[in-house]
Amino acid sequence: MRKILKGGEPFFFPGDEVGCLVTHGFTATPQEVRELGEYLATQGRTVLGVRLFAHATNVRDMPRARWWDWIASVEDGYHLLKNTCSRIVLLGLSTGGAISLYLANTFPMSGVVVMSTPHELPSDPRIRILRPIIKPLSLLYPSTPKGPPDFFAPEARDARVQYHHYPLRSVPELDILFQKMREVLPLLDLPVLFIHSKQDKFVPPDHMEANFNLLGSKDKSKILIEGSNHIITCDAARQQVFEAANNFVNRIAGKRT
Amino acid sequence: MIVQDEGKPFFFKGGQTGCLLIHGATGTPKEMRWLGEYLASKGYSVLGCRLFGHATDQKDLLRARWYDWFTSVEDAYHILSGTCNQIFTAGISLGGLLSLLFASQFPVSGLIAYSTPYSMPEKLAVILRPVLPLISTLWHYFPKGEPDWHDIELHKDHLEYPTYPIRVATELHRLIDEVQKALPTIAAPALIIHSIKDATIHFQHAEKIHEALGSRDKELLWLENSGHNMTRDSERDKVFHATAAFIQRVSNNASP
Repeated sequence: MRKILKGGEPFFFPGDEVGCLVTHGFTATPQEVRELGEYLATQGRTVLGVRLFAHATNVRDMPRARWWDWIASVEDGYHLLKNTCSRIVLLGLSTGGAISLYLANTFPMSGVVVMSTPHELPSDPRIRILRPIIKPLSLLYPSTPKGPPDFFAPEARDARVQYHHYPLRSVPELDILFQKMREVLPLLDLPVLFIHSKQDKFVPPDHMEANFNLLGSKDKSKILIEGSNHIITCDAARQQVFEAANNFVNRIAGKRT
Repeated sequence: MIVQDEGKPFFFKGGQTGCLLIHGATGTPKEMRWLGEYLASKGYSVLGCRLFGHATDQKDLLRARWYDWFTSVEDAYHILSGTCNQIFTAGISLGGLLSLLFASQFPVSGLIAYSTPYSMPEKLAVILRPVLPLISTLWHYFPKGEPDWHDIELHKDHLEYPTYPIRVATELHRLIDEVQKALPTIAAPALIIHSIKDATIHFQHAEKIHEALGSRDKELLWLENSGHNMTRDSERDKVFHATAAFIQRVSNNASP
């Protein structure tokens, strides 16, 4: 029996015709974007926070996941929302941002909020060296423990629901996913907001710059925040992120009447 | 795109009673869509979920495990919970197994199982069970048998994978083991519907499920002129009416 980790369940808040489809990041769970979802729901929006395949269950499920399974998880959310919402805005954290950008090229979306999203795999030297042999290596050594958390806000660290290991088999999947994202970036022409933290040690802000520069959209903006780690939807400056995301949703979807 | 056009999952927002619809092995949410539209017209909230590995490419099913399908249902349950205070699960075949198992683990208000097996229906799969995982790494797909539709026009319109990935048989074995253990522990009101002409799952399976179910409130309804895919075949209206009547009786609500 596999059950979804307590606190890591997907969530749905009914609201108005503007649907916010919220996607969490790699090895995390919907928990990390739940408060953002709650904030948007209090503003009257319909909000759906999906669970990416093989997440929020057991890290041993991850080696079976392919990049297109994660796309399909968010696509499912899009189909569920579109019967009740006339406009859909995607909001994604980290890998969730890359998936959101990819889907914005496939379905008619009203806008995308991209948070802490990498431009490519982090430049960890271990990844660079091991990348060619990582698939066979992952059979022998399926996962590696995560480093110590670097949250500014201790309550955000304590509330976190996630895997405590990185599954090696997912590295090539992420590599392809970011490549797919880079391929669609110049093709996009919808409003996009990037939010990134200056102190993101995991994915430094120059990743946002690279994504921003490659994006085809005329309507694009970026916000650099301070006082947060990579998980900007949970860490100390989260309120700033919620407000920026909400302002963006209001602007492109029109104020609620 | 990744999900086949007509195989998309669906959600119809209605009242506070929710119906979670689950399709069968190698099928898609399309199997449950007419039923979903009918229930939505009665005022219920309806979510037709997509089971992992389905409605994309049949090679995805080689990586699917039975507990992935269970968590697909759990996802849908949490999403429906955002707008419903009572939830019914209704599934066909594999979806029926998941509907039963889910009712043993989560507080659903009631469950419906259509064309659902009690044990592995394919004798060959039973005999080969110990070696199936090995076979499935060498030989991925097994051809499907003759369809048993009574409405031939609808069969042409059916959307499913063309074969059975052999790995699916192993996962069904394991899921069926779990369901057999869970059946006596289920307390939720249950409706079992089966066609006596089901050529895929013999109707005795429905009798066995009905007998093993722990629920005090359990009904067994027979169809006479349908194949296995009863939610789309010629007696589907009877299936829809019986489903809505059951949900209305159990939820004990004049309005959904």
